[in-house]
Amino acid sequence: MSECHGRGKTLHIDYSKCIGCETCEAVCGFLYDTPRIAMARTNDGQMIPIYCQHCEHAHCMKVCNRGALMRDRDGAVVLQPMLCRGCETRNCVIACPYAAFFATDRGVAVRKCDLCAGRRAVGLGPACAEMCPCGAIRFADRDELDELETEASREARDRVLAHIRPKK
Amino acid sequence: MSNAMNFAFMREEPAPPNGRRVAIIGAGPSGLAAAGYLGCLGYQVEVYDKLPKPGGLMLFGIPGHRIPADRIQRGVFTLSRKFGVNFHNKTKICCSAPLHEEEGDHFSCDIRGLGELVEDHDAVIICSGAWKSRKLGIPGEQLKGVYSGLEFLFPIRAVKYATSNVSVPPVEGRTVVVIGAGHSAMDVAHSAKALGAKRVVMVYRRTKKEAPAGSYEVDRLIDAGCEWLERRTPLRIVADETGQHVAAMEMADANTGETEVLPADVIVTSIGEIPTPPFQKELGLENVRKGEVRWLHMTSIENVFVAGDVLTGPSKIGKAVYSGLRAARSLTNWLDLKAQHRENEYNYDADVITRPGAPSEQR
Repeated sequence: MSECHGRGKTLHIDYSKCIGCETCEAVCGFLYDTPRIAMARTNDGQMIPIYCQHCEHAHCMKVCNRGALMRDRDGAVVLQPMLCRGCETRNCVIACPYAAFFATDRGVAVRKCDLCAGRRAVGLGPACAEMCPCGAIRFADRDELDELETEASREARDRVLAHIRPKK
Repeated sequence: MSNAMNFAFMREEPAPPNGRRVAIIGAGPSGLAAAGYLGCLGYQVEVYDKLPKPGGLMLFGIPGHRIPADRIQRGVFTLSRKFGVNFHNKTKICCSAPLHEEEGDHFSCDIRGLGELVEDHDAVIICSGAWKSRKLGIPGEQLKGVYSGLEFLFPIRAVKYATSNVSVPPVEGRTVVVIGAGHSAMDVAHSAKALGAKRVVMVYRRTKKEAPAGSYEVDRLIDAGCEWLERRTPLRIVADETGQHVAAMEMADANTGETEVLPADVIVTSIGEIPTPPFQKELGLENVRKGEVRWLHMTSIENVFVAGDVLTGPSKIGKAVYSGLRAARSLTNWLDLKAQHRENEYNYDADVITRPGAPSEQR
């Protein structure tokens, strides 16, 4: 397993800029058949993309018994399907605080974002960020995340998190 | 990373020219996505659009505070400079209806026939969108001061590309009634407020919870000072004393069962659009919609493909992009197999199967 340089890269969505147009999901679905970024509708009718944040201290990596989740050289948390295949615990799905693991009904039990690993290998960035009409999705260095946040983006993100983790 | 909507996201540089020419009709999200895909693969792409700038409703329909215009324009610039895509703006391809019937037609100075394009190119993709507004079908809809959502929103953006026959609807200091609760109705209400309307009233036949744009958007409108009237069905638009201009709207209140009259200077009916394909019947679009075709996204005219809202009806940018990409991929598949006389090896079923969770082909 190669070490990631610095704190690595991740995806950042500014939900205050997102208009819920579904382009990210569509482009991801076009490239990978089943999208790894998925639209959800909140109780108050907002369409929001749910996505993997490639956490620095990733719960999914800790709970995976098979070591199928690894950090790649850019800092992405990537799934090794040959290690994952056959596992039915779906520990990762349950552990993910951002609901960014998607259960499948055949083959490898889950799918997740790998920051477009195949594209990165040839010098391209994640396709969702490239095609977002609003510039709401950024392929960013983890170190610059704080600079990307604004008051509006924090407020919007809190709304999204309240949807993902409703108060009991 | 550049701040552009990168339609050519498939490759850094275009593949070497493959000698094929493709015409794309419509430079909205589906047309531009298809242009980007084909441009990456080495196709010579010609994009035709009736408007003065590529972008479609991303530029001319959706307000700039939602989609930054320069982000779209930079993406278009990359397509044209780096991927050799030629844009033919202000050019309308043979319409199904007389010119000047749809919003945006008055920009076109050149009209070309579809047949001509089919002859000049290896293939054509029609991505002309859904431009005709649905009507309420109530008396008084023809009065001055009554607009469709597109008629209202389009000039606000288009006026920047100043031609004398476009003007922003006069709303300053007036009462604007918006019918509908989708995203474009929300955009109309916000725009009316921004243009200085005295009073903006939203009228919707169902409840806030059922609003297609979501209750969050409705609450934001109310916060912005708009009024919200739900479970109201428009019955009649009443003219002023001249008989020419709108003065009020009569509507049925489902809460009370009574008829009420709402004074209005401007009424915008934002209840959706319908597709406006050239040669609807000749292309056999109904069959493409139902999936009764031998080749994904291909119409009954050989080498002519179709994608986006013109096929599915008004949807969302994402759906249009997906449809454009699928049509472009299907087209390359078609030309590749045809060149080897292997069209019959095409597996339609494998191509249309959309796995669970994937964006659906149709709404």
